[in-house]
Amino acid sequence: MNYKFDFTPVIDGLPALLLGCLGTLWLALSGMALAIIIGIGGVILRDSRVKLLRWLVIGFVELIRNTPFLVQIYFIFFALPLAGVRLDPTPTAIIALGVNGGAYAIEIIRGGVQSINKGQVEAGLALGLHKLSVFRFIVLKPALRAVFPSLASQFVLLTLTTSIASAVSAYELTSVAKRIESDSFRSFEVYGVVTLMYLVMAWIVMNVLNFISSRYISYPAK
Amino acid sequence: MGEGELLFLLKGFKWTVVLAAVSFLCGTVTGLAIALLRTSGYRAVERTTAAYIALFQGTPLLMQLFVVYYALALYGLEIDAWIAVAIGFTLHASAYLGEIWRGSIEAVPRGQVEAAKALSLHYFWRMKDIVLPQALRISLPATIGFLVQLIKGTSLAAFVGFTELTRAGTMVSNQIFKPLLVFGIVGMMYFALCWPLSFFGSRLESKFAAATR
Amino acid sequence: MKDKKLNLNRRQLLLTGAAGVVTPAVLITSAFAITPDEIKKRGKVIIGIQGDNPPWGYVDSSGKQQGLDADVGGLYGEYLGVPVEFMPLEVANRIPALTSGRVDILFATMAMFPDRAKAVQFSKPYAANVILLIAPKSIEIKSNADMAKLKSIGVARAAAQDTQVTKNAPLGTNILRFDGDAPSIQALVSGQVEGLGGNMFYMDRLDEAKPGYWENKIEFQRIYNGACTRLGEKEMNASANAFLDQIKANGELAKAYEKWMKRPLPPMPDSIEGVPFVAS
Repeated sequence: MNYKFDFTPVIDGLPALLLGCLGTLWLALSGMALAIIIGIGGVILRDSRVKLLRWLVIGFVELIRNTPFLVQIYFIFFALPLAGVRLDPTPTAIIALGVNGGAYAIEIIRGGVQSINKGQVEAGLALGLHKLSVFRFIVLKPALRAVFPSLASQFVLLTLTTSIASAVSAYELTSVAKRIESDSFRSFEVYGVVTLMYLVMAWIVMNVLNFISSRYISYPAK
Repeated sequence: MGEGELLFLLKGFKWTVVLAAVSFLCGTVTGLAIALLRTSGYRAVERTTAAYIALFQGTPLLMQLFVVYYALALYGLEIDAWIAVAIGFTLHASAYLGEIWRGSIEAVPRGQVEAAKALSLHYFWRMKDIVLPQALRISLPATIGFLVQLIKGTSLAAFVGFTELTRAGTMVSNQIFKPLLVFGIVGMMYFALCWPLSFFGSRLESKFAAATR
Repeated sequence: MKDKKLNLNRRQLLLTGAAGVVTPAVLITSAFAITPDEIKKRGKVIIGIQGDNPPWGYVDSSGKQQGLDADVGGLYGEYLGVPVEFMPLEVANRIPALTSGRVDILFATMAMFPDRAKAVQFSKPYAANVILLIAPKSIEIKSNADMAKLKSIGVARAAAQDTQVTKNAPLGTNILRFDGDAPSIQALVSGQVEGLGGNMFYMDRLDEAKPGYWENKIEFQRIYNGACTRLGEKEMNASANAFLDQIKANGELAKAYEKWMKRPLPPMPDSIEGVPFVAS
């Protein structure tokens, strides 16, 4: 191997890379928040009595889950402006992540909602609770607690997906890495280290979520 | 959009299909090896394989592609760019499929394995005739789901200059300046490829669920 | 049920399997330094080129490599006497593809800069270009400081325009970097950026998209393009220089230049500061 390794550009760029990590986490958090909102909204519409709304949600979920994220974000960034909707790179990334995560969140949360015993709903209504309260406290809250692990994995996945947002120049770790790489041409060193940084980030996120899950979310074992 | 542009997109589509197919097939072979190593019973082997799987599941596919693409070149071999990309996707697939199949191997009832051992069936035959057929059947919906993920993942090969469907779309859109139309068509092409697979997978899933009821 | 022929016990089977998975990872290392003779022996020359940057290098709708670099590259293949395999590369991928051995030589709109000369060996220049700023006609931009009027400026990452805009734009300008010429042009056309760093040929394409809307504003730099080979490969560098001398002398370069650039071949400098043409 007549290639000389040189990690100096990476070491010099470490502060920028760490800031990039923060950018990644910010995109992931905002994207996940939007995804959960879309998820809950989608679940409500999915069981609506209006057929059109039901099919809209089904169509949305199938479309998003069967097209690549890169194409989705290109569409939002390059194509939507021609239809009058122009968004900066970071909002584009957040919306793309939110929409993409939302499609999966709809399915995850729906699974949780369907696992709630119908008897509980009937009991709540029998006790005179308003339909909205029944949905909020008897259906949604326990469902979210039950599917928290799945949502947590989805969040880790979203964190990793942020790297694709570099294609529209959004601010996150991969964009910073690409800049360092194009200045130094040390492709293997830069991307190798950045890959490990993602691994560490994913590991930290997973452990934080597991901690939250065991302390606050999971029901005590019977 | 003229005929020439549409043909260019279709050519990119062809490469997407080829890349996904090759990576999936090679990934099943290596993935099976990973799954078997992961359930071998030898702690050190299981731990190493678990680390390998965690590496690929805890890092972005884009980074995996970049690292493999540039790492392979370091060894000085003259590998075609698209083979380097295929190797990257194969490794990615092997980790995910390995994990899926590990789960389904462990889901096969223990009693069957113990019975096979009691009948002094050799590991090879135990796996081939008893465990794997059931495990692979259980894993079919998840495996198909991953195939869809892989097809979508091939869009990232655009970043290393490989002209698959997404990159073809960017290039056409840059020549005729109609991104709405071009990316709309590109999206539809991916949908046409992925949705039937997803639909088939979810049908299988409900069939299996019905069987266990 | 016990198969007597299969004597491997479980441990051996797993070790064999493990070896099978690991072996491909242990590749035989080999140097990839290349000389023109090795290329002739191999039977083809692999030329790195741009795939989406007319008129230098672009792939047309039928998948064929076209452009000035394609014509010059084709002539180089003829000079060596072997067929050419073009490898279209993204802007940021050009130098890594050369240094990692994926291509033998670059005819890829490589502008000759001293910092690049540290990573690759340039040949004598064979084309000239101007790196400039493009912005709407309606916004008056006469100096570097005026760039602050633009809400955002797009560039192709790692391209000469990236370096120039980054260097010359006032502090705080919003610079968006994209993976290639194509996305950066698309960003301008779709309105995602107000200004665009580019070369003098962008306007031909932009006028197709929205005639008369943009114009060239600031000329950052006149640059020259050279062929690139790996540092230390003296024979390759000598071969490239000899080839360029030949096509300059017999008029083939001028012909290709007029065909693609629609301008006559300008005189090339004998030396560029910080960029050696000959490997030492």
